[in-house]
Amino acid sequence: MERKQSFSRRFFLKTTSFAGALALIPPKAKALYTELKQRLIPTKEIMPLTVTINKKAYEVKADSRTTLLDLLRENLHLTGTKKGCDHGQCGACTVHIDGQRVLSCLTLAVMTTGKNVTTIEGLADGDKLHPMQQAFIECDGFQCGYCTPGQIMSAVACVNEGHTRSVAEIKEFMSGNLCRCGAYNGIVESIQKVAI
Amino acid sequence: MGFFDDTISLSAPPEGRVEATAKVTGSGKYSAEYEVASLCHAVLVGSTIPAGIIKSINVGNARQVEGVIDVITHLNRPMVPAFADEAKIKEARFGLPVFHTDKIYFKGQPIAMVIAETLEDATYAASLITAEYAADQFNVDFEKSYKNAELKTAGKDRGTADSWAETPSVVEAEYTIKNEVHNPMEMHATIAHWTAENELKMFDKNQGVNNVQRMFAKLYNIPAEKIHVVSEFVGGGFGSGLRVWPHCLAAVIGAKAVKRPVKLVLTRPQMFTLVGYRPESWQKVKIGADNSGKFTGILHQARHATCVYDNFNEGITRIARLVYNFANLRTESATVPLNLSMPTWMRGPGDCTGDFAIESAIDELSYKLNIDPVQLRLQNLALEKDPDSGKKWSTNFVDECIKLAAEKIQWQNRKAAIGAISDGDWKTGYGMAVGMWNAGRSNASAGIKMLKDGSITVQTAMTDIGTGTGTAMQNIAKDATGISKEKIRIELGNSNLPPAPSQGGSTGLSSISGAVAAAVNALKMKLAGFAAAENDTYKNVVGADIILSDNGISYKTTNQQFVPYSVIWEKNNLQVLEVEASSAPGDERKQLAFCSSAAHFCMVKVNTKTGKIKIEKMVCAADGGTIVNEKAAANQISGAVVGGIGMALMEEQLIDPKLGTAIGNDLAGYHFAVNADAPIVEVIFVNKPDVNSNPSGSKGLGEVGIIGAAAAIANAIYNAIGKRLRDLPITPDKVLMG
Amino acid sequence: MRPFIFTKPATADQALIKKTNQAQFIAGGTNLLDLMKKHIALPEELLDVTNALPAAITANTKGIRIDAMVRNSAIASQAEVLSQFPLLAKAVLAGASPQIRNMASTAGNLLQRTRCPYFYDTTVPCNKRIPGTGCSAMDGDNRMSAIVGYSNQCVAVHPSDMCIALAALEANVLVTGRDKKQHSIPFKDFHRLPGTTPQLDNNLPANAVITAVEIPGNRFQKNFAYVKVRDRDSYAFALISVAAALHMEAGVISEARLASGGVAHKPWRWYKAEQFLKGKKPSAENFRQAASIAVGETKPLANNKFKTVMLQGAIETALQNCLTA
Repeated sequence: MERKQSFSRRFFLKTTSFAGALALIPPKAKALYTELKQRLIPTKEIMPLTVTINKKAYEVKADSRTTLLDLLRENLHLTGTKKGCDHGQCGACTVHIDGQRVLSCLTLAVMTTGKNVTTIEGLADGDKLHPMQQAFIECDGFQCGYCTPGQIMSAVACVNEGHTRSVAEIKEFMSGNLCRCGAYNGIVESIQKVAI
Repeated sequence: MGFFDDTISLSAPPEGRVEATAKVTGSGKYSAEYEVASLCHAVLVGSTIPAGIIKSINVGNARQVEGVIDVITHLNRPMVPAFADEAKIKEARFGLPVFHTDKIYFKGQPIAMVIAETLEDATYAASLITAEYAADQFNVDFEKSYKNAELKTAGKDRGTADSWAETPSVVEAEYTIKNEVHNPMEMHATIAHWTAENELKMFDKNQGVNNVQRMFAKLYNIPAEKIHVVSEFVGGGFGSGLRVWPHCLAAVIGAKAVKRPVKLVLTRPQMFTLVGYRPESWQKVKIGADNSGKFTGILHQARHATCVYDNFNEGITRIARLVYNFANLRTESATVPLNLSMPTWMRGPGDCTGDFAIESAIDELSYKLNIDPVQLRLQNLALEKDPDSGKKWSTNFVDECIKLAAEKIQWQNRKAAIGAISDGDWKTGYGMAVGMWNAGRSNASAGIKMLKDGSITVQTAMTDIGTGTGTAMQNIAKDATGISKEKIRIELGNSNLPPAPSQGGSTGLSSISGAVAAAVNALKMKLAGFAAAENDTYKNVVGADIILSDNGISYKTTNQQFVPYSVIWEKNNLQVLEVEASSAPGDERKQLAFCSSAAHFCMVKVNTKTGKIKIEKMVCAADGGTIVNEKAAANQISGAVVGGIGMALMEEQLIDPKLGTAIGNDLAGYHFAVNADAPIVEVIFVNKPDVNSNPSGSKGLGEVGIIGAAAAIANAIYNAIGKRLRDLPITPDKVLMG
Repeated sequence: MRPFIFTKPATADQALIKKTNQAQFIAGGTNLLDLMKKHIALPEELLDVTNALPAAITANTKGIRIDAMVRNSAIASQAEVLSQFPLLAKAVLAGASPQIRNMASTAGNLLQRTRCPYFYDTTVPCNKRIPGTGCSAMDGDNRMSAIVGYSNQCVAVHPSDMCIALAALEANVLVTGRDKKQHSIPFKDFHRLPGTTPQLDNNLPANAVITAVEIPGNRFQKNFAYVKVRDRDSYAFALISVAAALHMEAGVISEARLASGGVAHKPWRWYKAEQFLKGKKPSAENFRQAASIAVGETKPLANNKFKTVMLQGAIETALQNCLTA
């Protein structure tokens, strides 16, 4: 997994006057320029994607750069999954892929082809809330609610994984979900309630 | 659009907050989540230097990126009328005149904005923008600069400074706290939409829709009613949403430029430089006591950072004048302008900072005097009168807070001797501190809409940033009307609703409870007016005589002189009955002083080999008057305590003095407490009404939960290992090297 | 992110054929996407190797083989790892968060780039990001930086926890090149010191792929410890971490391993301290001396003198914890 970059950012910066000078360039050089430009400022790749989200099959086209998080929020308007940092540092975007809790902000949408994604919108069974959602309400496991979908998705996985043997274990295995309101009391209590 | 979730109807809704279902199902819409037709995406580009002039900006490459609609800079932006010239900019008091200046005041200052069809396009194009600057000298070094800021008296002196210099016991020390950043989980975001030439609709993250509305009315010189601000779900604030920030205006400028609705969501790194922070501070506290432990005097000096293009003074020394009796007192303060962005109020602003120093100093004094820190505080509290204004406290139960918390943590287990409780390399210590906050109240309005079936919708423009405002409104409306909870809907966070103040400074509940009570009274009187046509009893009644139920109106006791709503509605051909009323603090605020208070008690374990600190127990007993909703109130307090743990042990935004850059400006670099950092926080309430505060008897709790928490932890660390750590945060390195 | 072509090779061979200097492999993506979003990594093509590379854990008489695509969380819960290589499980669980461990691959973990804040800030000089621009951490905030093995060009530290255990357990990294030849790189030789080429983190040959990590069998099932000191209790990179493993015979240490994270550009082994412990009794005093020997190798920077004190304490604690594990 080679990490060397093909063009340094500095190289970009030095070539920025190219665009303005384009008109003066003869046709042959122009073709060369177009090729160079494609390497410097490449056009986006739009790709077909088939993914199952909350038991519903989606066939969509997505930019190769689009993360699962942005696909959900911007393209599919499933805004229950939250963006708190976009860099894997907060857990607000936690979803399940094939039953495992993962971060949708660090998952490329195109890499979810053929996978089963569950988001907070898919957790309730019709008009019946998931026991974890129910517990979060009863234990007041949130304040502002923004980290809550991620907390709940993570909590469901935490219980499934069996990491609920003590308060300390729950706390450790829920530490990938930051809550700035500090509603950790209620979050732990909710998980204890469901784990029993 | 209610604060309920209308789209999901549950077969068995559990008991919880009014908006709980919307929050646990993800259906509640935060500002960046609204679907708006032909929406485009904006990304801000920040300056790469901390001071200077922009000479040129190269946007050529960015413009060539597929999907880019426009690139806005100070050279091509549509002008904001209030920024027409330098004089007007000053007058506007907006702070940073974004895109209306070529001057750079801090690193990361927005110099350009890409607007594109997709977020990916905009983000990539933004990365291609470069600028040339004429760089100026800059200063971001608080530590090296604070001494140059001349201290000035902050408030009236009491007694004399000399009279207590010879007091038997005096401690004097300096304290510092690094920049702390609010970092609500939701990044600030604005969708700006010019729906007509001079009509603006915004979905915006803030703590006060009317404040945003007023600001844009001023900036664009259009009537406030032409500006509609929606902030129904707000993903935390902690003060960062109390101002209207440059990015919010940038989105509005962008929408004007491209004639399309524009969504601008800050990146997490931008959250460190564009929406305020608690500024770095230095303090000195000198405090003395006689042999009996009676405080003889205090000198409290404080300096904190501010920016160079605006001023901010958060009043760090205010708390010195509030909690204890000091016959002799002097407070001094100064601000230190730096090439950083504008700081702002952050949870427990000023007091939280000042309290750390004072409560640490008192703890130090207790060891010097060999008096238990609980005892020392109890004998010096100003329980009768606000020592500053001389006004009698309406209620002040800080002493009860101390006693309740001491009992809960079993303070008797504490050993006065340092490090007396130990298990190998782990030393256990106990510490405590108190916090206090002026319990304010503002003018606020609320409205009620009633339907024939007796269901009501209670409305206010006030936001609910997670404090439980909506739930409290429901509770208050239920108690005041007698109508059952299931029939009470809440609508809030929308400038089309009855106006209310911003939600900050722990005044939200106090202000809105008065408004809801007034609206309920108005509803009762209006119903009585109609009922009078059916029954003469209602001709001369006052609100207190009237009892409502799910079905109708009664006089003095339930079902007496009962008139069903259905009769009123049918006879008068009513659809919706609407009332609106406002309430404001009255003369009681001139005669009495108001405070909320808290006592924090803490038990820590400190590893002397690794420097690791583990908070084993944290107890907070608080006085917030009547507790309207115990679950939400306890959540507020325990959450604030978790914030206090962050403040004490890990939160710091460092600035590189040579580069002017924020170091590690993301959630991996800036640590706040994760679940594992906090114990299960134990919360106790005094729960006694303050009848003068507002009709609900409550006092705000949002701030006091954090004020004192850091000192309690630092004091416990001292008790464990004998190191008096006066510089926050107390990271493991400081434990080892301190 | 810069636009890129995305393909998903079905086999390792296909992946290797497609691999050019402008292409990058992606597995868990937990670090690469982060770097791409920051415009630090600008690949023209991404090769999704999640199907192409194996994902099994296989034990045999010589030890255990963990394939490239085994996710971190799978390592931490695998029975053979838990019984025979418990130190590895412990170190893995000390890293990142459950979500990230569910995503991060074994190979990717080895290839994580530093978390030095200056490396991440594209507005400031960094020799690792753009060679020749300078090291901002050297004269800046170097609290988190290295205390050993750094150069005047780079003081960054390696961020992994798993790798610290792999270093202590003397794993081998199995690598396949475009020539399809497989070879094995001893763990100590896999990561590099910054020297004059801080842009290079490791010795993985150009356009080669990691296929697995092999750990030889050992006798550290009973006495092992992983101590990680950080600014918060979880979900944070190490200030100092220590992987320790002892084997005792007749009350005497017959074999010792000590490695640290948060101290150098690569997982750092404390060979001299290990040597010192060999043949000694497991006593607090011997542990103190071993730690002192390790600390003796370090040369802290302006803001991280504390790391030597912390290292001393962390090694002593880890060795002590080996006795109660």
